[in-house]
Amino acid sequence: MASAEHVKQGFMLSKKHKAGLLNFLSAQGILVFFLICMFAFSLFSEQFLSQSNIMTVVRQASIIGIIAVGVTVVIIGGNLDLSVGSMLSFATVLVVDLHDKIGPIGAILVMFALTLMLGAVNGFLVGFMRLNSLIVTLAMLSATQGLVLIYSGGQNVDIANQSETWFSVFGRGYLLGIAVPVIIFALLAIIVQVVMSITGYGRRIFAIGGNPVAAVYSGIRKNWCVFSTYLISAFCVACAALVLGSRVMGSQNNVGQGYELLVLAGIILGGTSLLGGAGSIWKTVIGVLILGFIQNGLLLLGYPYYTQWLVTWVIIILAVWLDLANKRKRLLTRHS
Amino acid sequence: MFKKTVLVTSVLLSTATTVQAEETYRIGITQNNVGVDSYQTTYESAFEAAAERSDNVDVVVLDAGGDVARQIGQVRNLIQQRVDAIIIWPTNGQAVIPTLRQAHRAGIPVVVTNSKIAEAGLEFIAAFSGPDNVQQGASSAEMMCEALGGEGQIVQIAGQPGYTTAMERSKGFEDRLAESCPDVEILETQPGDWNREKAQRVMENFLTKYDDIDGVYAGDDNMGVGALNAAKSAGRARDIAFIGATNFAVGYEAIERGEYYGSIYQSPVDDAEAALQTALDILEGKEVPKMNFFETPKITADNLTEFDKPVF
Repeated sequence: MASAEHVKQGFMLSKKHKAGLLNFLSAQGILVFFLICMFAFSLFSEQFLSQSNIMTVVRQASIIGIIAVGVTVVIIGGNLDLSVGSMLSFATVLVVDLHDKIGPIGAILVMFALTLMLGAVNGFLVGFMRLNSLIVTLAMLSATQGLVLIYSGGQNVDIANQSETWFSVFGRGYLLGIAVPVIIFALLAIIVQVVMSITGYGRRIFAIGGNPVAAVYSGIRKNWCVFSTYLISAFCVACAALVLGSRVMGSQNNVGQGYELLVLAGIILGGTSLLGGAGSIWKTVIGVLILGFIQNGLLLLGYPYYTQWLVTWVIIILAVWLDLANKRKRLLTRHS
Repeated sequence: MFKKTVLVTSVLLSTATTVQAEETYRIGITQNNVGVDSYQTTYESAFEAAAERSDNVDVVVLDAGGDVARQIGQVRNLIQQRVDAIIIWPTNGQAVIPTLRQAHRAGIPVVVTNSKIAEAGLEFIAAFSGPDNVQQGASSAEMMCEALGGEGQIVQIAGQPGYTTAMERSKGFEDRLAESCPDVEILETQPGDWNREKAQRVMENFLTKYDDIDGVYAGDDNMGVGALNAAKSAGRARDIAFIGATNFAVGYEAIERGEYYGSIYQSPVDDAEAALQTALDILEGKEVPKMNFFETPKITADNLTEFDKPVF
């Protein structure tokens, strides 16, 4: 009797294991999709999987990636941040312009301080004034763009002696053979992922995004939590501006225009729900990399520009649909 | 030199009109999108300064903010105000044509500045004043041919897709290159959207894709310098000739340092002054050529000192 039970249990276990693997694969639907994409591109372009190309794509993706890390936190907390593109323009113009006026250290400090202040305004209006985050950050997008134009007088800014400043290290430097932008991206992603998954603070952000009412009843100070997510987002934008300004060693005043959409695309591609309460930095990193590799792959294959855009967005929609279909299926099987 | 001629003529003109009659012209201008780039910003202040200098002109300066609908509204508004002439920097060379016809019917002469409008609209305008972008592309092709000794493989980073300026420069460049330098091959063309960071990314991908690149043609210096940055990071800048257009301050400095082969000198100040002058000439009943191009000379290390460093 007992042995039969054991056999039965053993059988069930192995079945469970099999289902576990399938479950794991479908849970990582985007990752699988990513690997298929990489494989497909590598069939058509021999440079695609070369070490130098992979390094280039990861380096190029790191600016969007750094911003996406911050915005993912905002989204997990149940809100949106559309102002990151304009804030990136603002921070980049500021740090490049101040570089020649007050030196690199001063420029970086002032840029971080002012960018965090913009984030604080977002956080105050959404967190404490309870305004809709879509409206607030959309307004912030326009207002900040206006601010940039006023500040720069519509002119481009450039660092005068491009070869004589250590400021270029953030965008062009290498440490142990790895590009500095990639290191900054990786560090931020790891730190924020750890904070979100093992600290009480992270759990509170998830709780607020998932069910704000329940979260407040369980004693979470929602206002402060929401406020803090916008500070994290602004901090990430400031880091991205450091990389961008130092990479280009100059800035146009609309340099960040459209970044908010690419950031959102990366996050959605990673599978983080725009409804809040779910998602992970790790998935955002994958999403941003997919976006980077798709664009790079299409370019290497020599597709014309318009086709690149079309195919990119078709792939994004396809990936999101596959991911969603997968989740629905899992939900259905769980209930039956 | 050209600037001086414009100045002298405008001084002559203002004295001439003072003698004739104390008529003041009201000229309305609607610009494309001031503030998005340094060129348009400098253009606007140069235009206002030029209007200030001639005492028989009152200007109404409007900005469409890149929005076609807003620009159409602005032109209608200027017609309502019965200005003496309208200068327009079209946001879109096709969409503005119906309003230009309205202005034409109302008897208000229209000068199109900087960017051309579609062929169908030409009958409604008095003149076009601006740079000849096809010629600029051709000049860049000549410089490229010279820089490479007539042989090599190049890539092109074009301006924003859909923009007349971008298309004309590419066309001028490609046609002249094929004609006068058949052994220079264009490996690939991708847009850089007039954006240095974007151009830098595109160039990084080109450098991965092609082991052998002898030259880069960029639709403006902002993108050209982005390409230069990418090539420098990859340690390949010395083997590549960089040629741009619309000389920017960073491009000027790069030519000075010997890292950049050449560009096209196009001054927003000349552009603005030429537009105002064209409008005034028309109002005074002078014969004005329909396509009124101002000079855009080649600029390389050889003649760099003859030009002022651009302010943008």
